[in-house]
Amino acid sequence: MRLLIVEDDAETNAFVKQGLIQAGHVVVASTDGRDGLFQATSGEFDAIVVDRMLPGLDGLSLVKALRAASNATPVLMLTAIGGITDRVEGLNAGADDYLIKPFAFSELAARLNALGRRPAARAEPNRLAVGDIVVDLDRRSVERAGRRIALQPREFALLAELMRNPRKVMTRTMLLERVWDFDFDPKTSIVETHLSRLRSKLNAGFEEDAIETVRGAGYMIRGE
Amino acid sequence: MPGKLTIARLWRSTFGLVVLVALGFAAATVAIGSVAFTITHEALEKQLDHRIEVETAALLAEAHEDGFHGLAEAIARREAARSTASPDYLLLDSKGKRVAGGIVARSVIEAGYDEFFGYTRGKDRVVAQALTTPVPGGTLIVAADRAGLYEIDRILGGLFSGALITVLVVGTGAAALVGLITRRRLARIDRTAQAIIRGDFAQRVARDASGSEFDNLAATLNHMLDRIAGLLDNLRQVSSDVAHDLRTPLTRLYNRLDRAMLATGQGRTDEIEAARAEAAELLDIFAALLRIAEIEGMAERLPRTDFNLSALAEQMAETYRPDAEASGHKLKTEIAPGIHMSGDRRLLSQAMANLLDNALRHTPVGTTITLSVQPDERQVSIQVSDDGPGSGDPDSDRLFQRFARAEGSRSSEGHGLGLALVSAVASAHGGSARLDGSEGFQVTLSLPKLR
Repeated sequence: MRLLIVEDDAETNAFVKQGLIQAGHVVVASTDGRDGLFQATSGEFDAIVVDRMLPGLDGLSLVKALRAASNATPVLMLTAIGGITDRVEGLNAGADDYLIKPFAFSELAARLNALGRRPAARAEPNRLAVGDIVVDLDRRSVERAGRRIALQPREFALLAELMRNPRKVMTRTMLLERVWDFDFDPKTSIVETHLSRLRSKLNAGFEEDAIETVRGAGYMIRGE
Repeated sequence: MPGKLTIARLWRSTFGLVVLVALGFAAATVAIGSVAFTITHEALEKQLDHRIEVETAALLAEAHEDGFHGLAEAIARREAARSTASPDYLLLDSKGKRVAGGIVARSVIEAGYDEFFGYTRGKDRVVAQALTTPVPGGTLIVAADRAGLYEIDRILGGLFSGALITVLVVGTGAAALVGLITRRRLARIDRTAQAIIRGDFAQRVARDASGSEFDNLAATLNHMLDRIAGLLDNLRQVSSDVAHDLRTPLTRLYNRLDRAMLATGQGRTDEIEAARAEAAELLDIFAALLRIAEIEGMAERLPRTDFNLSALAEQMAETYRPDAEASGHKLKTEIAPGIHMSGDRRLLSQAMANLLDNALRHTPVGTTITLSVQPDERQVSIQVSDDGPGSGDPDSDRLFQRFARAEGSRSSEGHGLGLALVSAVASAHGGSARLDGSEGFQVTLSLPKLR
């Protein structure tokens, strides 16, 4: 992917840039809000990482300006630790996702992967199919290789989220945000417990594990 | 205009204010006095005019048939029966020679009324109101002495001057007194404030239990000072707790990195892994502290939306049930359906999550945990309770403070921030959190109902 990083902290900037280049992306880095906006509007990027606090032009204004110029490039906003309202403000300004600093690089990579090459906004299909698993969102039913599987509501929501992002790693925090609407990390392992239940229901009677655990990163629905 | 004595400046000091009010009263006294004086004076003059007019008419009627001579006789009769209150008469013939009456005119004689007609009676020089009427054969003058009127004027003037002086003296005295008392009372507050500025935060404004405005102000100020002192204590406590509670994980982190430097191969990787986990834990503590501080500061501007609390609670129970079962707990719900409330949904889910996390981590296998949401007339109670051994801590509310941990849970993981957040969330929603650790452990959030 071709990525733009707008981050004024030199260390974070270098760390993110190096990591993304190693992961095979083309990276343009900027340390200033105005320059970042200029780069974002003049180049073609698959996704942009923007820090909320920037010299020149802050991250929120940058995203607003970008959206005002009808630029729909996905934006991942980085925010400082602790801000409850930051997330809402960031999303309202037009950012597509947000991440709290400090973050694990794997988390950033997973989120960028989920953001980039995201198909243009369209109505959500009522039927998701990956590999031999089919999820009907209207009837809230799940089938694997034609066999009906009964799931609890949370398990269903979890599976649907994984199916919406086939071949993309979903991290624990991404799942907490999207399936549970939690913007905090509970001390109990609710993601792991729900995933293990979902997995055992999906895999009952099948050889292949439907869900792949990516060590140190997250979970991914296994395609063919 | 500093330094210049303007009305506006005077108005602002108590002394000046009372002086202004006294001056106002004095001006009112002067105004009322002059109006009363003028009205009385005019009325008396009118009365004198009326008297001489009636007297003139009476004389003329009496002498009607006998003409000029009859008039002279009538005057003579009156002069003979004269008293001090009687009017004076003067009858002149056509040549201006006195025919009857006991006075000698000093003023020019003109027909009609004269307010200040001067004449001499014997040795007395008199100023009178007079009516000069031309009669066949001469001129008739009837005059009433103004001395009585002047006497009344003098008495009225004296009265009003006395009143004015009294108002001014009493007013200025009152101004000085009120100013003095006010300054004295304010000086008490000022002394306390100065003492606090110098660093003696235990000082409070002395009260006199009079229930006066000053006493009430003193009470309010003392209340404010108590509140600030409480916040300062809390801040001091939190800062020292933070420093203390961060020392342990920071030391562990330091030691891990130390060992990583000496280790090689897989051992080194393991130590770095562990150091990373320590750093993550530190960041967790910081995130929790910042979040609590932010929630505590947002009571007024809490982003509120209306949402179904019952549904949220059901969802929380459903989310935690697998973990509860996996760890050998029972999770029961007593959730009244259809309760809506206005607030921050995520914060309330975090509060419930913290309570459920606590219950799962700090109770033994086989414990039943109950999540209940019940309304009463005015509020909604969210309660997480368990039938475990409780905290064994009589001072349970202490556990709502940052880093406070129950005696029994010292050894288990956690930093004592979960309940502090629960309490902050309850306060931010205009409610409160209660804790009872005597039989099992139960935490209740009481939140105001949706209006």
